[in-house]
Amino acid sequence: MAGLELLSDQGYRVDGRRAGELRKIQARMGVFAQADGSAYIEQGNTKALAVVYGPHEIRGSRARALPDRALVNCQYSSATFSTGERKRRPHGDRKSCEMGLQLRQTFEAAVLTQLHPRSQIDIYVQVLQADGGTYAACVNAATLAVLDAGIPMRDFVCACSAGFVDGTALADLSHVEEAAGGPQLALALLPSSGQIALLEMDARLHEDHLEQVLEAAAQAARDVHTLLDRVVRQHVQEASVLLGD
Amino acid sequence: MIPDWKVVQDYLEILEFPELKGIIFMQTACQAVQHQRGRRQYNKLRNLLKDARHDCVLFANEFQQSCYLPRERGESMEKWQSRSIYSAATWYYHHCQDRMPIVMVTEDEEAIQQYGSETEGVFVISFKNYLDNFWPDLTAAHELCESILQSRRERENESQESHGKEYPEHLPLEVLEAGIKSGRYIQGTLNVNKHRAQIEAFVRLQGASSKDSGLVSDILIHGTKARNRSIHGDVVVVELLPKNEWKGRTTALGENDGESPSEPMPTGRVVGILQKNWRDYVVTFPSKEEVQSQGKNARKILVIPWDYRIPKIRISTQQAEALQDFRVVVRIDSWESTSMYPSGHFVRVLGKIGDLEGEIATILVENSISVVPFSEAQMCEMPVNTTENPWKVSSEEERERKDLRKTHLVFSIDPRGCEDVDDTLSVRALDNGNLELGVHIADVTHFVASHSYIDIEARTRATTYYLADRRYDMLPSILSADVCSLLGGVDRYAVSIMWELDKTSYEIKKVWYGRTIIRSAYKLFYEAAQELLDGNVDIVDDIPEFRDLDEKSRQAKLEELLWAIGKLTDIARHIRAKRDQCGALELEGVEVRIQLDEKKNIHDLIPKQPLEVHETVAECMILANHWVAKKICESFPHQALLRRHPPPHQEFFSELRECAKAKGFFMDTRSNKALADSLDNANDPNDPIVNWLLRSMATQAMSNALYFSTGSCAEEEFHHYGLALDKYTHFTSPIRRYSDIVVHRLLMAAISKDKKMEIKENLFSNKDLEELCRHINNRNRAAQHSQKQSTELFQCMYFKDKDPETEERCISDGVIYSIRTNGVLVFIPRFGIKGAAYLKNKDGLVISCSPDGHSEWKPGSLQRFQNKITSTTTGGESVTFHLFDHVTVRISVQASRCHSDTIRLEIISNKPYMMPDTELFQQSSLLLKSDLVKEVTRSVEEAQLAQEVKVNVIEKDYQKYCQTKGSSLYTLLEEIRDLALLDVSNSYGI
Repeated sequence: MAGLELLSDQGYRVDGRRAGELRKIQARMGVFAQADGSAYIEQGNTKALAVVYGPHEIRGSRARALPDRALVNCQYSSATFSTGERKRRPHGDRKSCEMGLQLRQTFEAAVLTQLHPRSQIDIYVQVLQADGGTYAACVNAATLAVLDAGIPMRDFVCACSAGFVDGTALADLSHVEEAAGGPQLALALLPSSGQIALLEMDARLHEDHLEQVLEAAAQAARDVHTLLDRVVRQHVQEASVLLGD
Repeated sequence: MIPDWKVVQDYLEILEFPELKGIIFMQTACQAVQHQRGRRQYNKLRNLLKDARHDCVLFANEFQQSCYLPRERGESMEKWQSRSIYSAATWYYHHCQDRMPIVMVTEDEEAIQQYGSETEGVFVISFKNYLDNFWPDLTAAHELCESILQSRRERENESQESHGKEYPEHLPLEVLEAGIKSGRYIQGTLNVNKHRAQIEAFVRLQGASSKDSGLVSDILIHGTKARNRSIHGDVVVVELLPKNEWKGRTTALGENDGESPSEPMPTGRVVGILQKNWRDYVVTFPSKEEVQSQGKNARKILVIPWDYRIPKIRISTQQAEALQDFRVVVRIDSWESTSMYPSGHFVRVLGKIGDLEGEIATILVENSISVVPFSEAQMCEMPVNTTENPWKVSSEEERERKDLRKTHLVFSIDPRGCEDVDDTLSVRALDNGNLELGVHIADVTHFVASHSYIDIEARTRATTYYLADRRYDMLPSILSADVCSLLGGVDRYAVSIMWELDKTSYEIKKVWYGRTIIRSAYKLFYEAAQELLDGNVDIVDDIPEFRDLDEKSRQAKLEELLWAIGKLTDIARHIRAKRDQCGALELEGVEVRIQLDEKKNIHDLIPKQPLEVHETVAECMILANHWVAKKICESFPHQALLRRHPPPHQEFFSELRECAKAKGFFMDTRSNKALADSLDNANDPNDPIVNWLLRSMATQAMSNALYFSTGSCAEEEFHHYGLALDKYTHFTSPIRRYSDIVVHRLLMAAISKDKKMEIKENLFSNKDLEELCRHINNRNRAAQHSQKQSTELFQCMYFKDKDPETEERCISDGVIYSIRTNGVLVFIPRFGIKGAAYLKNKDGLVISCSPDGHSEWKPGSLQRFQNKITSTTTGGESVTFHLFDHVTVRISVQASRCHSDTIRLEIISNKPYMMPDTELFQQSSLLLKSDLVKEVTRSVEEAQLAQEVKVNVIEKDYQKYCQTKGSSLYTLLEEIRDLALLDVSNSYGI
């Protein structure tokens, strides 16, 4: 479909959003009992599940243990049914390795790892349905899961993607928008400090526009933060009600 | 107003009317347009929305919570779209607190019924209804709506039809080739009958297939279905139909239908096309009224080709109206089996209909003659000859060539005012008492190197095109009229042939070929030469070369020239007599006819015989051509370019024999000798035209002479039937024929071969030469056609302004020369016009003549016999027309928008037309073609003059109102635009 219009004259995107609008976010924490922490998030049609174990003793070779801080171990996988085309993705393929690495960098920046030297924190993320912004969904889900596990962090890590079409920055790209092939930026932000945990960009984008896109992504990340914050508070409230009784 | 998705798709043009305001486009509708109609229409819609004057908005109903309706299971896309739009309309109505009535326009009948009365204030009506109720005065919109509806209907019909295809598919190439080999199919060239282009076409057999299938005649292709998308000139493959489906051809003169066809002939249908010979076609747009009836079928227009034989062509253009009155060139792109007509595209404009330049350009394009001016690169190769820098004989060439300047008396005889003199003659007595006859031809190949730009250009042109009023040269004028032209009194290069003849018997003893330098002493014209030959010395004053001489030397020179001309004539007579014995035909001059057809007509009419000098010169040229043919054929038996004239088929002579019998002559057509004799005998002392007509019939029965390469023909086929020579070629007019240039190169190569020198020229191989011959033959035919058509054009223009009822000139004497079932063919000697005259008109009335000879139309019937036709009225009167009867005809012009105008003849009396005065007859018969041309050109000039006068008037106005011209930027720009236009139109004219 060559003539697909990502942004109409009236300023609507293909799915009816405005340029800076997020998709609907729904999240739950503590979905699994046996894990230390877990969370499930839906960002539009993108659905991700995150599970956190730890901090615990280093498993496997002890040599990997870090003397001054905890080891963050991230694993990413996506379900065979997650994309439009059913495709078996074994563990350890290039894409998931990369994604795991990015998640690890993100969380090493956010988690206060020096509090748990010589221990390990495992974060497993699985994407159940991929409709654009998988990285963002994974980060957001993992944040909630880490919080659920009670591991101390500097701040929430909120991630969001952004794109650039016809001189306008679009926040939270859907799959259709991603597939159109424009520039795409993924940002993980520590909202209260405004620090950037991870910034990644595909494709070329003129320097003049970078500011704009970055701002759009940051704003979206802050929006995500308010939502996640609400989710966490609600979860804590529910938990306290249960514990209080 | 809220349009439905369907309305937006189909009637967007109407919604674009500035009068229609306040339209709410639903997102659903827009998306439907985007997906189903593509980007162009969607962009149009977007522009419409952006245009503030329209007050249009887009409502994103699918993004609006209360408007969005999920598509239900099993609901069709269209239904859902209508439903969404309706619900959005309802919501919008309520949103405006029920104050604004909303009109939803849809084409869906069901939707109108379903939603029509569901909500008060939201009206659901059809688009037609909407226009009628809300915009009854907006006629343009109504019209547009009509045409859109119509075109949609047509499209539907079309798509229905296309299920059953218009034409059967062509067979794949392998099948065709196998079929031709096995004899199942036959290959040939398609020839469409000009007068019945819709129905009749013939396939002329090609190559071996005719022998195998045992077919003598052509194959009839009846109807367009059987023709299966092939166009006139295509090489097609034909399958014969079973014998019981064979049809006969019609012999009636056009217009009338229902005539009984002749006996069945082989009939077939086209199964494939081997080679498409599509070219550029000149077409005319149908007039306004016709366009209306065709409908605005997505701006596809059926245009009518100038050539009757070409089917209508479908082109899509938006300029149809602007191009109404113009002749336009189009090209055919394709012809799908689902389409009735081929589709093509517009290329360029030639000129206005009826305009002389436009019509001439039409003739040129129709004959695929391209006559752009010579390019700079080509002109750079040309020698220079100006007054400051005159062209000179180079010393190098002087050494190589034989110098005849001092030794030979060379002179040329040409028509008066001729510029391109390519042949000169010389004759002198040798010391041993023998005579030496020389033919010196302009050495064009010296200037035109093989494969140079100019050579390639000349090759494509192949010949100089002579139209009625102009000519298009094969070579640039610097060559054709100057450096190559063998003008009097200047040094020129030539290629010469010199024969040594026995002084009494004129037997040829020796022959010499070679390059020479000559200086032509006299440039005579035919009439002057004839006078000299007759011993009438008074004409001397007309010859410029003699003017400045004193009496004595003048006398001496004159004697010398007189002797030469006399001797030359003597020799020519002798050669001619020898050739006559072998059976040379005197026809319309198979060769000469091309250039002189029209003139010849007139010459034969005037009791004066053609001048003997004509024949003398022609004879010398034939001799030269013959000897050159011998020479090159000897040296290059497989790659020489010769010219042959195949003997005619005897069956073609049957008409001639019948005609002659009607006058009581017997035609023996078994050999060229016999034919020549019987033609000479068939002379009616009372009517010289009879003989002329018989000769022209004989010419028509013969096939054309052709160039060929000796390698591709058997030696016995080299024969030239008309000239009765075993070998013949064209050598004597290299300025205006490319074949002669090739022959010149061959001759030069032959000479160097004799001298055991290296052959400098790279000659054509047999295959290339064969290809070249085909090309030259084709071009010659085109030249012939264009000349004929331009003559007809001038005839029509001449008669166009005249009122046939009153003008004395339009009534003339005619001779019946052929009889058809519903009319006769008439030849009008005075104007050289041949045409058909009907004896039965379109209403079925036949001609009847009152005793004083005047004719009128009455009901009755026609009866055709072998050489007469009788028309009997119901009242019992009858009139019979015989072959060669003289009748009085009225000449009028039948104007035609899309084709060339035609001359119409009408018999107004069965008595010969009496000239008021015989002297007048003499005079008026001198109204030659050239005069006719002059007159037409003059009237065109007058028209131009009138236009210029108009311009002058405007200029006066300028002065009157004290306005300066061209001062404002606007006028300046306009002027520039005018200039651009002029440029374009100029290039058409060329």
